[in-house]
Amino acid sequence: MATQKIHFFTGKGGVGKSLMAASYACMLSEKSDHGPVLLAELTERSFYRDFLGLDNLGYKPILAGKLSKHLSISQWSTNDCLKEYALHLLKIESLYKLFFENAVSKSLIQVAPGLQELAILGKATSSVRKHGPQMPFSEIVIDAFATGHFMNLFRAPKAMSEIISFGPMGEQSRGIDQWLRDANFCHVHIATLAEDLPITETIELYNNLKSEFGITAKVYLNKLLKLNDVDFENLSVDEKKHFSEISENESVSIEKLKSAGIHYQEILFVPEIDRVKLIGQIAGSL
Amino acid sequence: MIELKSETKTLICIGSGGVGKTTFAATVAIGKACEGKKVLVLTIDPSLRLAQALGMKPDGEIHDLTTEAMRNKNGKLFACVIQHEKAFHEFIVKASGQKLAAADIEKLTNNKLYKQLSTKLSGSQEFTSLFKLNFYVNSGEYDLVILDTPPAQHTWQFLKAPEKLSQLFNEGVASWFRNPKQTDIGFFKKVLNIGTTQVLKALETLTGADFIKELGLFFSAIQNWQGPLEKQVMDCHRLLASQTTEFALITMLDPSRITECQKISQEIQQEGYQLTTLVINKVPAWFKNKNSRKSEKINRLSSYYEDIEKLLTQSLTSGAGFKNQLKIYKCPEVSQNELHEKNLSEIYLQISKIN
Repeated sequence: MATQKIHFFTGKGGVGKSLMAASYACMLSEKSDHGPVLLAELTERSFYRDFLGLDNLGYKPILAGKLSKHLSISQWSTNDCLKEYALHLLKIESLYKLFFENAVSKSLIQVAPGLQELAILGKATSSVRKHGPQMPFSEIVIDAFATGHFMNLFRAPKAMSEIISFGPMGEQSRGIDQWLRDANFCHVHIATLAEDLPITETIELYNNLKSEFGITAKVYLNKLLKLNDVDFENLSVDEKKHFSEISENESVSIEKLKSAGIHYQEILFVPEIDRVKLIGQIAGSL
Repeated sequence: MIELKSETKTLICIGSGGVGKTTFAATVAIGKACEGKKVLVLTIDPSLRLAQALGMKPDGEIHDLTTEAMRNKNGKLFACVIQHEKAFHEFIVKASGQKLAAADIEKLTNNKLYKQLSTKLSGSQEFTSLFKLNFYVNSGEYDLVILDTPPAQHTWQFLKAPEKLSQLFNEGVASWFRNPKQTDIGFFKKVLNIGTTQVLKALETLTGADFIKELGLFFSAIQNWQGPLEKQVMDCHRLLASQTTEFALITMLDPSRITECQKISQEIQQEGYQLTTLVINKVPAWFKNKNSRKSEKINRLSSYYEDIEKLLTQSLTSGAGFKNQLKIYKCPEVSQNELHEKNLSEIYLQISKIN
């Protein structure tokens, strides 16, 4: 099997990154030359469970039959990632139980800065680092955190290895950080809307990823209407005002991305309520 | 218009990212000030346009934004853009009381873990906004304080913030890492029982000894403050559950919000918070105007929004587990090009109850 690849989806809250991540995973898994694909969400409360009606969605990957035959979905809560990591390191079941069933250590884990981030990234890179349980997927698509929180996630391994230079934690942190900077393995995707705030955040995030990690992120300009002159014919005054504003936002956003030297992919707005159809349509346009 | 109970002193606007919480909070603040109330709105990271339109400055200070129209009704409007790091520092200073020397505070704020905690701990931003909210509500200066909650992946991050922080300052945890009489070296050995030692050893295996040492330094720095710190955290929690605090859940016309919204509102009510208001925000004002449009695209768009609105109101009013006190409102979309106080006060008047 070729080397595993990993894709992180981020962007400002509310721009549709979960939907983009699902569509991207769907698109990958439908390619005939691909092995199995995993879609993982980083959250304590699942989005996909309700959105796709998958009642038994949890840490253990399950098949997302409705979306694609070769796609699995799982929810990576921090605690589950940490448990797996702890069990892998501590080896002894009883010690692990003592550690995790203890109220005090439970709160310590929440408090210890960086530990949660490391657990997540440790899980994401476990196959390539050959550390921890292997994941039998050719590509892993992660619906990750929003902009600020996402940068904190990516910065954690380096920050941790600076604070703690010795011991297993320091060593692993350095390893994880190196894999994040590997352009063949790690890919970052930013979803954005053609609006003022999301575009500003996207440009900043894009530049930070480039300067701090040498990562060139892929940008998706989501929910574009791309209206033309015919669309504006016979509109009421209110409608005209509304849609001119949208059109202007779209061209200003495109201008901003271009002048920042950022390549982007246009994603047209899909007015579809059926969730499976919606993901299928976006996947088709990718 | 939004109806609040006469005794209500605090309105907390919650909802997931992108639903327009900040603009909604500002709209209600303006509307209530125009009704003659003395209002303070606390926001986090308003858009440049909104900030400019209303004259907000991102300096963590309170600014008087009262207009002629408000003054005529004896109303006043104040706004504050919360600065997270500044607020966290204020919280530490306040919690430490007057007893603490500046040098001690500096010692703490220079601790590596403190820096991480104050900026990166998930929940700490939620907590500082709550801390500021509690402070201003208790000041008694305002008839109504409106809080726009931080952008979080999930509403629960906000509601669980006090709990998370109190775990940090929990005496039980902190005492593990302290050795009052000796230096930081060898404090493991001083820990009283075997179980504790084993857990710490496990933690050391996971994180390394350096990490444990940093934790020890941090907890010895905040020694003696546990009591007051926890009291602050408790006060904040009490404010959330208070009878004079109302919650407004903001949502919008998007397929992914339909089930989400129903679920969240049920859960919040079950937890005992006073969720009284649900707002379907950013409702396009144009799509009711049926006319002879030529654009196939816009026609599809308009029936799409109509369908979602139907589904959303159905799922919200069908009453599955809903308490009937919940008021559901529709708020029209605000044009970003027309963001100014006068326009927002008109939008406020257009907010209509649909149940």
